[in-house]
Amino acid sequence: MTQNTQKNRCFLELRNIHKRFGGVHALRGVDLSLEAGEVYHLLGENGCGKSTVIKIMAGAHPPSEGQIVLDGEVFNELTPIQSLDFGIETVYQDLSLIPNLSVMENVALGEQLVEGHGRLLRRIDRARMRQTATKALSQVGLDVTPELMSTIVSELPLATRQLVAIARAIACEARLVIMDEPTTSLTRREVENLIDVVSRLRSQNVAVLFVTHKLEECYRIGGHAIVFRDGQCVAQGPIESYSRADLAELMTGRQISEKRYREGSPSEDTLMSLSNFSMPGRFNDVGFDLRKGEVLGITGLSDSGRNELALAIAGIRPAASGTISINDKNIRIATASDSIDAGIAYVPEDRLSEGLFLSKSIYQNEVALILRKLAGFMGILDMKKGKEIAREISADMRLNTADIELPVSSLSGGNQQRVLIGRWLSINPEILVLHGPTVGVDVGSKDAIYQTIQKMAEDGMGLIIVSDDLPELLQNCDRILVMNAGEVVSDLNGASASEDDIYQAMLGSVQEGAA
Amino acid sequence: MSSAGTSNKPAPGHVSASGQLQQRRGLGDLIAKKPELVTLGLLIAICIAVAIANPAFLQPSTLIDIGRASVVTGLFALGVFVILAAGGIDVSFTAIAALTMYSITLLAINHAPNMPIYVVFLIAVAGGIALGVLNGFLVYTLRVPSLIVTIGTQYLFRGGLLAFVGTTWIMELPGQMGTFGRISLLEFETANGATVSLPVYFLILPAAAILTWWIMRRTLMGRAIFSLGGSPDVTARLGYNVKIVHLFVFGYAGALAGLAGIVHVTANRLANPFDLVGTEIAVIAAVVLGGARITGGTGSVIGTMLGVLLVVVVDNVLVMVGIPSTWQRVFVGAFILLAAAFFVTRQRKFKPAK
Repeated sequence: MTQNTQKNRCFLELRNIHKRFGGVHALRGVDLSLEAGEVYHLLGENGCGKSTVIKIMAGAHPPSEGQIVLDGEVFNELTPIQSLDFGIETVYQDLSLIPNLSVMENVALGEQLVEGHGRLLRRIDRARMRQTATKALSQVGLDVTPELMSTIVSELPLATRQLVAIARAIACEARLVIMDEPTTSLTRREVENLIDVVSRLRSQNVAVLFVTHKLEECYRIGGHAIVFRDGQCVAQGPIESYSRADLAELMTGRQISEKRYREGSPSEDTLMSLSNFSMPGRFNDVGFDLRKGEVLGITGLSDSGRNELALAIAGIRPAASGTISINDKNIRIATASDSIDAGIAYVPEDRLSEGLFLSKSIYQNEVALILRKLAGFMGILDMKKGKEIAREISADMRLNTADIELPVSSLSGGNQQRVLIGRWLSINPEILVLHGPTVGVDVGSKDAIYQTIQKMAEDGMGLIIVSDDLPELLQNCDRILVMNAGEVVSDLNGASASEDDIYQAMLGSVQEGAA
Repeated sequence: MSSAGTSNKPAPGHVSASGQLQQRRGLGDLIAKKPELVTLGLLIAICIAVAIANPAFLQPSTLIDIGRASVVTGLFALGVFVILAAGGIDVSFTAIAALTMYSITLLAINHAPNMPIYVVFLIAVAGGIALGVLNGFLVYTLRVPSLIVTIGTQYLFRGGLLAFVGTTWIMELPGQMGTFGRISLLEFETANGATVSLPVYFLILPAAAILTWWIMRRTLMGRAIFSLGGSPDVTARLGYNVKIVHLFVFGYAGALAGLAGIVHVTANRLANPFDLVGTEIAVIAAVVLGGARITGGTGSVIGTMLGVLLVVVVDNVLVMVGIPSTWQRVFVGAFILLAAAFFVTRQRKFKPAK
């Protein structure tokens, strides 16, 4: 790889950065330095602190401890406008576009905002905005028409929005462009275009920090690998000096400890059976059986339809067509309570916004589903009995506190997740659907959650784990269904499959256009 | 590969964006982009119906009546539009107007009876800004929904006015405040010989509308206001100073409320501290009828002005065709529901993926 050695100097340096969110220690002393004209690949599992470190560089979060050095100037924290002022542009994972403004405004307004150092009482130079937007949009390979320029961003398809977000990052004179998973919904040709954009940036002496799960893209682009694990930087060096296996081991740290939790085996009795399950545009003709005591994994890229499938089973966004039967009895799932009545419990992916009452106590959270059982004369709740049950649940789930009056917000991510799972267990479901059960959960809690999963399976429950954490699936599941473009494309045996097998199935048609 | 799930993966190449866009055309699309067309259509329909029922409607004097009656509501509505666009809501603006207009009238009577009218307006605007900025400051620092904050400040401002400033009507306006309302821009003679005049203060409304349009469309502040209404988190992340935007929108609405208060006094030649408060729902209704969503991030000055006209026409004109004034509310209510149903179906169609 070419190295502009004569111009190389440190543009951004992080010194001993720590970040805590409530009880979670997301970054534990990160030291990093980025040089102009270099490409970096920030690698790591979900929840390892990648997004947090990006947000600290972009000024979206202040660090809890540590320093940020830009061009030799030392900061304890950055504001977004300071960061932009230094030429740090970010393509966020959620794209961070303004949904109700036009494409042109989204791409090119930032330039004029930054020039005025954030001053808002300024006239917009529309001619310049048009010019800047046209240039940036054509660089990412979009066909720039007046119609596209004036389209409101929320009306665009996802892939175009992703390109617009990239265009925004390169519209100004950036010195560091951070891209957080910029290629998830792009076609192969658009990815090629992006790779060109990266090499152009590099030749203009701009540093690029790439975050992606697609290792082959990293190898194609080349540059430095930075590997994060559990909030720490565990390795740094030229990417071509690491093999895929090296990187996987560095990211997971589990080469040695990669034990399989799954020991039992499912019974022969079919518990739930899904057929012709479809929701136009999301998933199509999905069918599978779940046996008693089985742990079934479902995975795929984020737009593969796996999330929508989970929501449909839970009745939150019901499927348009298809049948579902439990214990050979056909049931209809149109609402979330249909699904609960049928014995299906669903633990959502985003436990903070969809599952927990954060400011309420552990006790109140754990008994939320059995209030009717606790209600006695005139609907008065039997608090004593409720607390007894809550204590039992907490003990079963091995919460690290015995005080059930503590608010859930004071717990770590792993313990919060256990409260949520425990709540569902209080209604003795036959089927438990876990959506991303260990997202943002530390290693210790993961272990406890996995052991609970296995125990529930042994007790005859049927479990479905929807996740993109491949080691998690391989460690816990009997079978793994891989979805791609709305369909189940393979059905792998959890004991014999490898991460590579799953990746192949997940990416299959994205890579080559033909499944 | 079947059709399911492939919508996110368009054919390779450049056409993906524009190809999808071209599918949506025609009337529905036009109305989705310009919701104020619905308001305009409704307005025209009412005018035609009224003109058929009572040809006396078609007189310059009717137009003047409507124009004169629109000023105060219109000024309020522009302020509400700006706040709605930023994703907030304000119900305290009428109290701001009442407090500033009555206090300034008292001030003029007691201390400066010959104060020039422009000074009166300047003081009113400054007072309105101060009270509005207080709203913005509270909304930003307390992180409480602006509806709650402004309900609180509405009571505070109005209670303060009645408790500490005064509760009596002032019939004798000081110096220029009394005469300003009578200066006319245009005069017409009606069929029965009476003269109807369009007062000079009418000009304040189009001036304020043009200024608001310019701020919203041509300055970074305007874009920041819409951004804030579209996605507050992202707006902060992109480097916009969200605090300043809050202070600005509420301050601006306060300034317009201050102006409206003085116009109200000079037009009625009476400063009544019990006036204005209670009309805020009608103003918000006008803005929503003009196509602004209560959830923020949308709306236009033209739409707002059309919404105001619609409400004012219903208020003033239905009487001409023999519909009792008690029915006006029924009409406004029906229109709001109609417009809401209409805009909601439009929103479903364009619901963003995330």
